[in-house]
Amino acid sequence: MRTNYLFSYKSRFIGLGLILLHIPIRLFWEMAYPGLGSHHLPTGPADSALFTNEHLFNIVSTILVLTGLFLIAFSKEKIEDEQISQLRLDSLRWAIYLNYLILLGSLIFTTGIDLFDILRLNIWVPLIFFIVRFRWVIFRLNRSLKTDKHHEE
Amino acid sequence: MKNNIRVERAIKNITQAELAEQVDVSRQTINSIESNKYVPSTLLALKIARIFNKPVELIFMLEESDEKIKKR
Repeated sequence: MRTNYLFSYKSRFIGLGLILLHIPIRLFWEMAYPGLGSHHLPTGPADSALFTNEHLFNIVSTILVLTGLFLIAFSKEKIEDEQISQLRLDSLRWAIYLNYLILLGSLIFTTGIDLFDILRLNIWVPLIFFIVRFRWVIFRLNRSLKTDKHHEE
Repeated sequence: MKNNIRVERAIKNITQAELAEQVDVSRQTINSIESNKYVPSTLLALKIARIFNKPVELIFMLEESDEKIKKR
């Protein structure tokens, strides 16, 4: 069979674990260091914000969640067949459409949008929308299987 | 494209799950093909035909809406 560059079925649960793990860490950090919301990106290598705890923590927690989402999005299904591949491709296309729609929208309807916000959008929107859409079509597929079975019986 | 997998399955007396296992796809895929929601690849169509010991044209056939083959 063709290689499809997907993670193994079990990695989905590792990904879920990473995201769940991130929640208590984040909560603990916010209790210990309030004011995390006002985090801003360092502007250059000389900026003193580059090596603050805040910034490093933010990078690490983003990597943690991103890795988790990646494993969830791109792990194999239990039976990875051609219909699943097609649904995956469809969902990926919708995710890209939505991402560019939002990017274009923010370009047209906002004045001087923060570059950091665009980066944030681009990081989360495609992955999260892909996961939600892909899971939704698989859920619908399983539901139609159940209703068909009732008809057969 | 339509198909008569459901009929052939009844003749051979196997379930969707059994057919799915024999051609190495999920039960959902067989179900989608039977209800004309998914068009299988040539590879899968050939595999299914082989299970029923029939040429692929007897299992899968074009519908009128598909018949837009350009004649030269």
